[in-house]
Amino acid sequence: MNTSLNTFRLEMKVNGQLVSLDIPPTLRLIDVLRDELRLTGTKEGCGEGECGACSVLLDGKLVNSCLILAPQAHGKEVITIEGLAAQGELHILQKSFAEAGAIQCGFCTPGMILAAKALLDSNPCPTREEIALAISGNLCRCTGYVKIIEAIELAARRLREEKVQEAC
Amino acid sequence: MLDFKFYYQPQTLGEALELLATLPGKVRPLAGGTDIVPALRRGELELDGLVDISCLKELKGIEKVGERVRIGSLVTFSELSSSSLIRQYASVLSEAASSVGSPQIRNLGTVGGNIVNASPAADSVPALVALEAEAKICSQQGERFLKVEEILCGAGKTCLTPGELIESIFFSLPPPNTKSGFLKLGRRNALAIARLSVAAVITLDPSKNKIAQAKVALGAVAPNPFRSEEIERLLVGAEVSSSLIEEAAALASQVVEKRLGSRPTAPYKKQAVKGVIRELLQKLLKPVEVKAS
Repeated sequence: MNTSLNTFRLEMKVNGQLVSLDIPPTLRLIDVLRDELRLTGTKEGCGEGECGACSVLLDGKLVNSCLILAPQAHGKEVITIEGLAAQGELHILQKSFAEAGAIQCGFCTPGMILAAKALLDSNPCPTREEIALAISGNLCRCTGYVKIIEAIELAARRLREEKVQEAC
Repeated sequence: MLDFKFYYQPQTLGEALELLATLPGKVRPLAGGTDIVPALRRGELELDGLVDISCLKELKGIEKVGERVRIGSLVTFSELSSSSLIRQYASVLSEAASSVGSPQIRNLGTVGGNIVNASPAADSVPALVALEAEAKICSQQGERFLKVEEILCGAGKTCLTPGELIESIFFSLPPPNTKSGFLKLGRRNALAIARLSVAAVITLDPSKNKIAQAKVALGAVAPNPFRSEEIERLLVGAEVSSSLIEEAAALASQVVEKRLGSRPTAPYKKQAVKGVIRELLQKLLKPVEVKAS
């Protein structure tokens, strides 16, 4: 039993790297990501699970990192927005968001992109309705969602083309 | 940083029950965290410690056991809504689970947490009540079974004692010709707390075009979701017709009015429930030809 009164030995994989740190168990996952690991791409908006700005992937599933305690990620794999760009090159989703004009203030973008990644990982050919449902837990107060949906459609198309090319 | 003194992450149900029985002060089990973590952050919930039960394998999984379906209390709303077993035998529960919060919350929130949190607007609870679901409750003293309806005793209150945990939830496989469904009225589609919800499980007698069995539960119109005997009595044995649906809608309006009394939401909800019941019954009774009245 990973028992703890004052500190908790948290071991998890973050963006492909194993991390091990002693933390007070009173920290939420977002606190560890931002304040301990300095991964400040993950944003805290409402702190209530309403806005989705803090979304990360936990074992491949989209979750609000403000709603779980950090020790609940023990033994699991976390992907944050910093984990998407491979060798310094932006992920297709990131490029598509920029090209489609789906970014204005940018505060919702990391969560929005991870929501899109969770969708495309399980459904490479989503309909507009499926896209809207997949980002229904992420609020954007600037763009009005249309461009975000278009960016995800664009990314889905490009990811499918990339797969076809790889297969050839 | 949240404020509590101790945190444990047991790996077995036995360890968790021992901790819950022996730790001093006010201790709560932690499952998905979607209600407890923000409540701690806001300072609305004061606790001495948490027993994190989210690793307990004994509390996971959905399976058919004989003539019943067992749902581990840690099963998430996402798992419920995508489970083929649940879709096959209890669409009411998969529909209720898919109407909870947002994709993020459905990936974390658990069915056991939804019951013990005892919100009047809990989405999965009317579905479980309409399915006559029963919870297996464990403590160091042993186990006991209670209907989900019997666990709830007021808004935010349960009759569980501090050392007890819901281990799993069971419901019986429905008889042939049974259809079930859930409808919720919220202020918007995603992340909406139910203003009103209806869960129904209806068994038809197709040879006579009659309703053989009906279980109807209402949510967000009383301290806890409840089954309406009045609506069920009207439906059982009745011939399926559009006038029956209208009678049920009118009766539901009276039931809601009686339950809400002089609450400010009563004038709205007693009208709104008619539309919700009508839409749900029309969907469930559809394959049977509805005779024009």
